[in-house]
Amino acid sequence: MSTDVRAATSTIGVCWKWVDVEGDPRRAGVSAADQAALETAFSIAASLDAGTDSSTEITVVALGPVAAEQALRGALAAGAHRAIRIDASAHLPSDRVAAALADALDRVDLVVCGDYSADRGSGSVPAFLAAELDAAQALGLIQISVDGRVTAEGAPVVRALRRLDGGRREQLTVTPPAVLSVEGSVATLRRASLPAELLAKQAAIAVLPGPSAAEQHADTIRPFRPRPRVVPAPVGAGALDRIRALTEAGATVSHGETVTLDPPEAAARILAALREWGYLEP
Amino acid sequence: MVLVSRRPEWPEISFEERIGTTRFDVHERAHIVVDGSVCTDCSTRECIVACPANLFVPTADGGIVFNYEQCFECGTCYLVCNREGAITWTYPEGGHGVVFART
Amino acid sequence: MLLERGPFAGSKNMYGGVVYPRILDQFHPNWWEEVPIQRWITRRSTMVLTATQAMTVDFRTQAWGEPPYNGATAYRPDFDHWLAGKAEADGAVLVTSTTALGLLRDEAGRIAGVRTDRPDGDIHADVVIACDGVNSFLAKEADLFGPGQTEAGNYTVGVKETIALPKDVIDERFGVRDREGVDIEILGGTGGVNGGGFLYTNLDTLAVGVVLKLPALGAQPRRPEEIIADLKAHAAIAPLVEGGTIVEYSAHLIPEAGRSMMPRLTTDGMLVAGDAAAMCLAAGIWLEGVNFAMASGIYAGEAAADALRAGDTSAAGLAGYERRLGDTFVLRDHEKLRRAPGLVLSDRVQHHYPQMIANVVERVFRVENPRPKPGFRRIVREERKRAGIGLRDLARDAWAGIRSFG
Repeated sequence: MSTDVRAATSTIGVCWKWVDVEGDPRRAGVSAADQAALETAFSIAASLDAGTDSSTEITVVALGPVAAEQALRGALAAGAHRAIRIDASAHLPSDRVAAALADALDRVDLVVCGDYSADRGSGSVPAFLAAELDAAQALGLIQISVDGRVTAEGAPVVRALRRLDGGRREQLTVTPPAVLSVEGSVATLRRASLPAELLAKQAAIAVLPGPSAAEQHADTIRPFRPRPRVVPAPVGAGALDRIRALTEAGATVSHGETVTLDPPEAAARILAALREWGYLEP
Repeated sequence: MVLVSRRPEWPEISFEERIGTTRFDVHERAHIVVDGSVCTDCSTRECIVACPANLFVPTADGGIVFNYEQCFECGTCYLVCNREGAITWTYPEGGHGVVFART
Repeated sequence: MLLERGPFAGSKNMYGGVVYPRILDQFHPNWWEEVPIQRWITRRSTMVLTATQAMTVDFRTQAWGEPPYNGATAYRPDFDHWLAGKAEADGAVLVTSTTALGLLRDEAGRIAGVRTDRPDGDIHADVVIACDGVNSFLAKEADLFGPGQTEAGNYTVGVKETIALPKDVIDERFGVRDREGVDIEILGGTGGVNGGGFLYTNLDTLAVGVVLKLPALGAQPRRPEEIIADLKAHAAIAPLVEGGTIVEYSAHLIPEAGRSMMPRLTTDGMLVAGDAAAMCLAAGIWLEGVNFAMASGIYAGEAAADALRAGDTSAAGLAGYERRLGDTFVLRDHEKLRRAPGLVLSDRVQHHYPQMIANVVERVFRVENPRPKPGFRRIVREERKRAGIGLRDLARDAWAGIRSFG
């Protein structure tokens, strides 16, 4: 990623994950959040370009097989400038996906992703991608605006609203380079015009090789089972006492604890507590 | 004629499960609009029984509520309806609505 | 340019059954080597159901299981997608997810293209071929239907469950192997609503459903899925379908009245084909439509190409379309069978004859010793009376049947 933000033209990357949930490529595609990401990129670009000669370029990168190119053509028809397909299966771990995306998005100022894919993964790719690109991250956004303010270096300031628990909202100010992920509700992808749709049918789509076979590791799928907790042997003279100790019947056990610590110390304290309660290996 | 016969032992599924087997890519615009005020004095209400997707629901106050989301776009409702102006029928936005796979 | 309102060709299409693709011989010899079908129909059953009885005429031939085959079950989203791919390979530009909203006209009022729902979506065309399905808003906008042709009484609604069962279970229940398949057409079993039922074998699913006449469906209390449930519960059907899970539920209108509801097929700058032109053949023992749609589409394309070459796309210039339809099965079958839909959906054929036939057969094969067997003619006479069928009606229907099907 270019850390020097060019004043004239900037580039926005949009990352898509093409998913074939039903084993039917005709009914496969990208999530509503991924589509919203592209529309968000269009509106950021329009705000950046308003009243200037510059033209913000939008590159859409999708991970997927050849069938994913249909979706990429849709992105081009809607107004994206470039489309890149990374030739890889959708079943890669998030860090590998993020590394492949980062390679494809070498020189972009902002990256917009959907905050979930059509197969409802962990939503962690944007965070990994931010790490790969050494960029700021603002994830799970429900509103994004660019009001023309710039930083001292001339980079545009993005104002974003993030959903928190309990109906609360967090207002963020983000400057490039940054990775943003948006919910599906932030925008509806515009419909491509008919002439653009026809043009996109012939458009070239760059294809990059995905992670090599050696790097693609096969996930072992097994049913989810919570980790067993390590419980010390019950103490007590009689059987009843030992049963009470085992079942905690009649006892008030609370793991709650309120501490005020600096973030690194707080993280260490959380890990220690989890170990102490048996959730992590000692 | 009602068929009198042995009911086989399979679990009949709810209508929600049944319609849930079909895929609908719902658009935000309702492609069919029902003017319930026209329906209040309709006594025949063919739509309620005929709509294969069961989208016409009578309300307590004598009206009809219509949900456009899980619609087969078949056209049965506007054909059986006897009330001029009750149903405004169009196809959904291109690419939206029902998406069949195995039929 | 080929416009498709769904996300892919075939995504909006549903039918009750069987495709007869021989019309493709001329374009794609050996089409059967690549066509995405489910099973080749080698067993064809016509079943008459009453509440407690079933009589089946069952025909099987291995000839239909070999090239060039006869009919096949297929999923329309697969079959139509494949067919659209062929059109693309031959140079058509397929534009999906695009709905035609209406017709464009030039200054003289002549049809000059279609307006679509995409931005900047007007398509100017010398010829529009309206194959926009049974609801054809394009044919209606062009005012091609005569009075009464689009009345509800000319339509039925087909409602269908696709039910998954393992292939070997289907093979065993229906007595078929490999890609052989069965087509069961059912008269009766629709809960008193005029129409019919059907049961088809796909590779690892069954298609079970009913076709229901429209005004009749709205005038009685049973909903379509309840009528299907009753059909599936019938003693003759239940053992074939039970244990399966529904994997798709679908419905579609059928233009049922044949020739009598066909609109004008040609106007200046436009041709109408397929369901839009009501070309479904619903003639009782023959239930076809996909072949008529394919053929009329082919002939419309040929006539349009001729008209473009000659530089005359007026109705006169496009006359080659109806000439081709008239020279081939498309209109000839419909002309010949123009009385069949009315007869097949009449109350006597729907309700009285099935009961009579089933009772006659039941009595013919019932052994009530020590009573001797009654005479066949006596049974027929008594059962005809019991079913409330007058001799004159029987004669009239027989004559109509001979004229329709003969």
